[in-house]
Amino acid sequence: MFAKTFGAGILGLNGVLFSIEVDISNGIPGMEIVGLPDAAVRESKERVRAAIRNSGYEVPCRRITVNLAPADQKKDGSGLDLPIAIGILAASGQLAVQALDEVVLVGELSLDAKLRGINGVLPMAIICRQTGIKRLVLPVENAAEAQVVDTLKVVAVDSLQAAIKAIASDFPDLTESPRCNVPRLIKQSLQQNDDFCDVQGQLAAKRALEIAAAGGHNVLMTGSPGAGKTMLARRIASILPPMTQDEALEVSKIYSVAGLLGQVAGLVEQRPFRSPHHTVSAAAMAGGGRIPRPGEVTLAHNGVLFLDELTEFPRQVLEVLRQPVEDGQVTVARVNSTYTYPSRFMLILAMNPCPCGYFGDSLRECCCSQAEIKRYLRRISGPLMDRIDLHINVPRLRYEEMATEQQAEPSKTIAARVAAARALQADRFAGMGVFCNAQMNHRQIKDQCQISKDAQELLRQAFEKMKLNARSYDRIIKVAQTIADLVGQNKIAYEHMAEAVQVRLTVADSAHNN
Amino acid sequence: MKKMNCVEKGHRGEDLAVDFLLAKGYRIVTRNWRVRSGEIDIIAQDDDTLVFCEVKTRSSIRCGTGAEAVDRRKQRKIVQAAILYLQRYHLMNQRCRFDVIEILQPAQGQPQIQHISNAFGG
Repeated sequence: MFAKTFGAGILGLNGVLFSIEVDISNGIPGMEIVGLPDAAVRESKERVRAAIRNSGYEVPCRRITVNLAPADQKKDGSGLDLPIAIGILAASGQLAVQALDEVVLVGELSLDAKLRGINGVLPMAIICRQTGIKRLVLPVENAAEAQVVDTLKVVAVDSLQAAIKAIASDFPDLTESPRCNVPRLIKQSLQQNDDFCDVQGQLAAKRALEIAAAGGHNVLMTGSPGAGKTMLARRIASILPPMTQDEALEVSKIYSVAGLLGQVAGLVEQRPFRSPHHTVSAAAMAGGGRIPRPGEVTLAHNGVLFLDELTEFPRQVLEVLRQPVEDGQVTVARVNSTYTYPSRFMLILAMNPCPCGYFGDSLRECCCSQAEIKRYLRRISGPLMDRIDLHINVPRLRYEEMATEQQAEPSKTIAARVAAARALQADRFAGMGVFCNAQMNHRQIKDQCQISKDAQELLRQAFEKMKLNARSYDRIIKVAQTIADLVGQNKIAYEHMAEAVQVRLTVADSAHNN
Repeated sequence: MKKMNCVEKGHRGEDLAVDFLLAKGYRIVTRNWRVRSGEIDIIAQDDDTLVFCEVKTRSSIRCGTGAEAVDRRKQRKIVQAAILYLQRYHLMNQRCRFDVIEILQPAQGQPQIQHISNAFGG
C-alpha cells in the first residue's frame, strides 16, 4: 500500500518542496526513512509513532518505508513530521484520502500529537504559491507568517487529529483563518521609545546621522567615553523610513528562517537594528555552520548593523564585513552547495579615539603615547575605513548644553526630512532594484548623479589632496547626492559636495594616512 | 549445578509459553530454531502473521525483569535469525511480528506470564 504527501523545507533562504512517499509492505516490521534525512528527520520516526498512537490511530505492525524525494537533497528540521504521519495513515488505509496532491503539510509533532511551530514557514509559503500549491496545512503558531502570502489558502491546525479532520473533510472553508492586512502592519512601525529629542547638543553628529539615514550610508563615530555615541546610534532606528512591502518581505524571510519571527505579527515591521557584542565570532557575523544559518550581517539586512567599541572586535571578524558591505550580499560556500544571503545594511560604528579614550577631549588630558594611539587605530584596517562614508567626532558636552531646558529636535521631524529624501530616491531608482543612494553602483552613479561644474572641481581638488581612491570617489558622490536630496534638489551643487568631502575627513583618517 | 538449573528453568518457561500461546489460539510452527547467529525460542502463527517469540524466565525481579533483558543487541540477533528463517523458507513477503513473553516464576506460587506483542522491529 502506497501513499504520497508533500512537505517543505529550507535551502538557504528559499523554500523547497519535498514529496514524501510511504510504502507499507510485509516483511520484518519497522520503519525506515530514506532520502538523506539528517538527525532531526530520522528521529521523527519516534515522534510520529507516538503521535499516531496517541491520536487514537495505530502504526501498522508492518514494514514501513518512507522516501523523501528528491533523494539527493539533504533534509533537515522537524517540519516533516506531519507529512510523514499523514502519509503513514493514508498508506495504511486509516485515512481516506481525497486530495493530497495540491496540499503541502508542515509541522513538528509532539508525543501527545500536538503540533509545534517550526522555523522558515514564510519562505515555504512563498514556494508553495510559486509552484501552484493550493493549500498549506501548518501549526497555528506559524499561521500569521504564512498568511502574508496572498492567494495561498492557509489551514492552521493545532494537532494531528485536527489535521486529519481537515483532510478527511476535504477542507471546509471554516478551517481557514482570516487573512491579515499586510500594508497596515508595516505602517505601525513608527512607534519608538528612543527619540532624538533626548540627545542634547551633538548637532554635527545628528546631522551626519540624518544624512546616513537618508541615503543608507555607513558611519563611524569617534569620541571620548560618555559623550553619547551609543545613545545616538540607538536612536537611528527612529528616523529611518518605514520599510516598503518588498523590503519587509525580504527581512521577514530571513527572520523566519532564523526562527526570530515574532509569534503575533506575520511580517517584521521595523527595520532591524542589530548590535552584536564584540565577542562575536566570524561565523556568527557572516553566517555559517554545517547547515548554514544567516549571520548578523544578514539579520541586519535592510536595517542597521551597529558595532559598539569597534576596536575591541577581533580583526578577523571585522575583515569578514568587507564583502557584505561592498556587495550587499554574503556567500557561504559548503561542499554540497553555496548559499548566498542578502546583507544590505547601514553600518554604524563607534569607537574611542585612543586606548584611554580622551585623545582630543576638550577637558581631560589623554595619557596615551603617540605609538599607543597608532597601534590602537591600526586594529581597524584601511580597507574597512575606506568603506565608511561619514566620519563623525562626538565631542564631550559642555554643562550648559547638558542642562538646557530647550528641547532638542524630535525624531519625528528628522524622520520627515529623511522620508522626503528617500521618496526622491525611490523615484530615481524605480525599477532598478536599488532602494537608496548608498546602493548605487558605479554605472548608476554615472547615469543618475548630475554634478555641477564647481562641485566637480572641488571633488578634483579633494581627490588629489586627500589621496582618494576610486571607491572613495564614488562614495563621496553618493553622500553628496543624499545631501542634495535632503534639500530636495536633484543636482549636486558646490555646498553639497563640500559637506560630503568634509564628513569623510577625520582624525582616524589622517592617522591612517601618516 | 547452577547453570543446569538455569537452563532447566528456561525450558520450563518455554513450555509454559507454548501452552499460553496455544491457549490464545496460536499455532506453533517450530521451537528453538537455531542458526549460527542466534536462536528463536518459539515461532508461531497468529492468523496470517508469523510471530517470532523470545521467552524470558525469571524467578525474581532482583536482577531486572525478563523483558528488560531483551536489549538492542539481543533484538538485533533475533531479527537477524528471523531474516535467515524467512529466507530459508522463502517467506520474505510474509507478515511477521516480534513478541516477548516474560515469565515470572517464583520459588513458590503460580507463574505470571506477560505477553508483549509487537515488542520491537527491525
